[in-house]
Amino acid sequence: MAAEAASGNVDKSVQVKLVLLGEAAVGKSSIVLRFVSNDFQANKEPTIGAAFLTQKCRLEDRVLRYEIWDTAGQERFHSLAPMYYRNAQAAVVVYDVTKAASLEKAKSWVKELQRQANPNIVIALAGNKVDLVTPSSSAAPPTPSPDGDDEPDDATATPGETPSAVAEVESLRQVPRDEAQAYATEAGLLFFETSAKTGEGVVEVFTEIAKKIPIEHILASTRGSGRNGGPPGRPGGQQSGVNLDANATQAKNACNC
Amino acid sequence: MATISTQLRNFKEPNKEELNRFFFSLPPEEVHANGADTDHANEKEKAFSGTEKMDINAVLSLGEQGLEDSYAGKLHLLPPYLSFASVDRKSVRFTIPLCTIRRVERLNTRTGVFALSLAVWHGMKIVIQLTALRPTADLFCTLLRDALKAQLQQGQMKAMKNFVRTCYSEALLSSPSATVAENDKVDPDANAGALAEGNNPVGEGDGFHGGLGLKFKFPGDPKKLREASKIKLWTTYLRSHGRNLSLLRYPQFTRLVQVGLPNRLRGEIWETLSGSMYLRFANPGLYRKLLEDNKNITSASIDDIEKDLHRSLPEYSAYQTEEGISTLRRVLTAYSFKNPELGYCQAMNILAAAILIYLSEEQAFWLLDVLCDRLLPGYYSPSMHGTLLDQRVFESLVHKCLPMIHEHFHTVDVQLSVASLPWFLSLYINSMPMIFAFRIVDCFFCMGPKVLFQVGLAILKINGEALLEVQDDGGFISLMRDYFASLGDSAHPHSTDPRTRAITRFQELLLVSFREFSVITDETIQAERRKFRTDVISSIEVFSKRAAVRSLKRHGRFNKDQLGLVYDALFKAICVIPAETQSIPPPNLLDPDKTTEQKQETRIGLRTFRVFLSEIATWGRNEKIVSNGFQERVDREVAEHEFIDRLYYFWDTSCLGTLSFQDLVDGLDGVMFNDLMDNIEWFFNLHDKDKDGSLTKDEVLVLSESLLFIFRYEVGDAYLGAVSRFMTNAFEYGDALLPQETNEDGSLKSPTVGNNQPYLNLATFRMVVLADEILESFFETDLSASFRLEPVVDVPLTPSSSGLLGGLLSNIVTDGNKRLFNRVTDEIGKTIGKHQVTHRPSIGRQMILQEPKARESLLTPSMRRSSSKSSLSITETSSPGATNIPSTPSSLTLRSQADISSSELSPLPHVKAATAALMERTPFAIDDAGDDDDDDDDFPEHEGEPDDQVMDEVDAFLEAHDSGLSEAEKKLAEDVAKAPPIK
Repeated sequence: MAAEAASGNVDKSVQVKLVLLGEAAVGKSSIVLRFVSNDFQANKEPTIGAAFLTQKCRLEDRVLRYEIWDTAGQERFHSLAPMYYRNAQAAVVVYDVTKAASLEKAKSWVKELQRQANPNIVIALAGNKVDLVTPSSSAAPPTPSPDGDDEPDDATATPGETPSAVAEVESLRQVPRDEAQAYATEAGLLFFETSAKTGEGVVEVFTEIAKKIPIEHILASTRGSGRNGGPPGRPGGQQSGVNLDANATQAKNACNC
Repeated sequence: MATISTQLRNFKEPNKEELNRFFFSLPPEEVHANGADTDHANEKEKAFSGTEKMDINAVLSLGEQGLEDSYAGKLHLLPPYLSFASVDRKSVRFTIPLCTIRRVERLNTRTGVFALSLAVWHGMKIVIQLTALRPTADLFCTLLRDALKAQLQQGQMKAMKNFVRTCYSEALLSSPSATVAENDKVDPDANAGALAEGNNPVGEGDGFHGGLGLKFKFPGDPKKLREASKIKLWTTYLRSHGRNLSLLRYPQFTRLVQVGLPNRLRGEIWETLSGSMYLRFANPGLYRKLLEDNKNITSASIDDIEKDLHRSLPEYSAYQTEEGISTLRRVLTAYSFKNPELGYCQAMNILAAAILIYLSEEQAFWLLDVLCDRLLPGYYSPSMHGTLLDQRVFESLVHKCLPMIHEHFHTVDVQLSVASLPWFLSLYINSMPMIFAFRIVDCFFCMGPKVLFQVGLAILKINGEALLEVQDDGGFISLMRDYFASLGDSAHPHSTDPRTRAITRFQELLLVSFREFSVITDETIQAERRKFRTDVISSIEVFSKRAAVRSLKRHGRFNKDQLGLVYDALFKAICVIPAETQSIPPPNLLDPDKTTEQKQETRIGLRTFRVFLSEIATWGRNEKIVSNGFQERVDREVAEHEFIDRLYYFWDTSCLGTLSFQDLVDGLDGVMFNDLMDNIEWFFNLHDKDKDGSLTKDEVLVLSESLLFIFRYEVGDAYLGAVSRFMTNAFEYGDALLPQETNEDGSLKSPTVGNNQPYLNLATFRMVVLADEILESFFETDLSASFRLEPVVDVPLTPSSSGLLGGLLSNIVTDGNKRLFNRVTDEIGKTIGKHQVTHRPSIGRQMILQEPKARESLLTPSMRRSSSKSSLSITETSSPGATNIPSTPSSLTLRSQADISSSELSPLPHVKAATAALMERTPFAIDDAGDDDDDDDDFPEHEGEPDDQVMDEVDAFLEAHDSGLSEAEKKLAEDVAKAPPIK
């Protein structure tokens, strides 16, 4: 599996800086935890400013070493975010499928990234907590799920928000998959629905990002630039022109925010 | 969604007295209702005896002989407190509430020295020799007596008795032997207190206050922490130097704090050091009342708190229980009620969770208050400006003290803050193992916020060599993480000397912090903060401007720069008149998510709107061009007129009674890009109150008034004529178009229509407007052009280095200066006959008086029953826009600001000296042999009792304490202390 830590050759790994953004309590930290240690924990270490984690990810014959910056979601930490997303090659913008407002916030993060961050940044939009709305990930018909949703720890890291055992799980959904998908396509983002609780879709986020990252360029720029693999993705556009999709996105959105 | 805060503009550098109160950890003074009028307030204050302040030179001795040296210093009477600081401001100091003083006696000294003996309620005697001139000393005594009397009258002495019972030190000292906690047994009394505390926030129980640690154990091994020895030492100290409210700080005190406070006393000493104890004493029951009064209230802060409760020191056992969680919840919510503007910020949960281990809820609440308010100013505010500022200061100190690291980080583009931000934001509690973090917190409370910087610098210095290998942010973080995890290890694992081996890396860290970075003083931090404040504030403002513009849902036809200008005008308006505070969330029951969103939105009221409009619309301001022979300036005032109010409500499309940035953008978009027909319709709709598509007669009159208001400063009669013609025509047309009724006799009956009946529809209105050349040209271009987006120049930005004055205050002062200057020059101008005042017109098209010529009427002769009263009409003489006077903002404001910012950019002598000193040292040489020798000095070979060993560590920090007295003076002070009271 892609998320398994590669014990192998460190020299071959490519360092990728990835930042997680999104409203408070949408499950950013849970997604990282699921990806990094394949674990789900209701109570986690608080994120002050940003938590920093690393995880290796194998893609064909390459090994990517993700440096993950999991940022604080509270609005007042917003002004600190540029510190964490500068030089990032990838970003996962998370929203909560049961909270319409969180998608709005996600959109504003996307806008900000497209304007302020590294121009070739690969952005993925992740609608988290799908376990709360449907038993399976795909756009399945809204069948009431017989199990699962009355467990004490739901997909949110937020105790006290646990929805009581409800039969009509789909009614909790406030963001239709189609709507988010349409937005993601329009803005040129990768799109996933995930559940940090069940692990659904989490690894895919990171592998799809890995596929889209212009690895050759990063390799070329890091080769011989230091024993620690060199600074990844310095601004200065050494990756320019590689990722056509990202460029198209950039051009399309550059003016409307 | 956009929140626009001008809060940062209101920053005021603390004045000398405030700094003094800060130094003595005193609560901020009560703000007088008429605070602006300070003279008046002072007079009032003087009228009330017992509140007057005074300081006087004095020599302090302890009543008990031979215990401590005497120290010269300054005694401050700051009712209801009495404070003392030795000359060096660090050896000795105290702050005691006057109500703890039981007896004041004048001592009978042989030398005629003026000396007082103060007996504190528990028997401790302080002897104070007033070394000022006799009349000054007499005055001081009088004031002290008055202040003491006032305290007695207020019943404070009695309240104090009850209060001290809540302090652990009383229990410690009253127990028969000083061994209450010798073996760290849980004493039943304490436990009872803690239990009552935990389960019932309302009653704190009869016993002393204590934290969750009493029930859930304190972090760390009490044996390893040498709890018993520490308690013994503290008991001895407290017996002779006072306790809780009346604690005196002698050099030994600081040493005891530096080796780490014993768990059971920790909370109380924190309270005393931070001064939160005075707040708790002065506001009994406030904590409970806050919780009670806001029992059923929910807020965004409460939601945020709820999210973090289980993420606050989850490894500590109390926070795995409901008891611990609800304790934490109550403290954080109570604080959010006390300070709704700050509310709750992530990291406060860590802080609160940490101090609750050692403090009761009420104690923790007040300590949190002092932390957020005074010790970590602006750290947790919505803009987090204090955090950003101190990060900037830290960076600058690294640059000065550790230039190699700074240089390297710069080269590899590593940002210091990625690691250091949480250090400061959570007082290292979230970064290092708790037992070590709490010792840093001990020092922080004892020696002030500079400790955070000193420790931060020491961490970097100790890891200097490794840091120079770091290539990116991630490597930096990992290195720091590994270092913090190893703090308990030996700093010199390979040393042959077992005592050297015993030195932990944490001890090394404190050593480096306080020895190598002792050059970092409170003044250094103050000066650095002053230096960077403006930068930080303006970058925050630029950031929030960008965010506000980005979060606009509709941009209309504006480009981003124009939106920025609209924002600037709005921002300036909010600076002048603050935005509405929304206590009641807008009624939006359907969508609770939306409700919380809207709560964050800044919305302005009518008064702010007027200021905003005066920035944008030429007729929204009254501008007088004053020339007096010396200067020509434009005096600008905000106009007030019903028309502006009308526009305000017209733009309030969501009917909330307030306007958001989006509303303003939408509103401006609705008028600024209009052509002739759009403008006519816009103006019509603006005056069509019931939106039924026609104006009533009253509304036609109001509309005419609006036109007159806009044209009020136009030169000549042309516009006046146009409006009067408009009225005539409007009524003529209106009447003509009314359904005609024919009387029986065939004659026309004049139609009657009430003043509130529909009268003039849009088509007719349009016709009337087009009948007049001036109005036509007004609606064609001038109306839209009267809205101008121009850079707002005189937004007052806090001058960083104005010393005593900053922000709005300085703005007022410079405004005042400007006004004075203007008045003087005006007066001179008048005497020499050169004073001239003209109003600047809003449209400014018709600059020359001309006889206007009539335009052919559109009315058919049959409709034209009355001839136009006015025969005036005009020709256009000027090409459009050519005569518009450019809005030149008064240049004076600019200049005065420039003066201020250039006046004080003095370099920091301390830091310079520090840098110079450090340059001479081999950088990062802590681990080499030479330093080992040093350490041997610091930890001398000495086989003493365990108690002494506890103090070994602190010897490292020992600095010579200067009593500030000569031998003879010391002798005198000793004699004085022995002197009997005057009978």
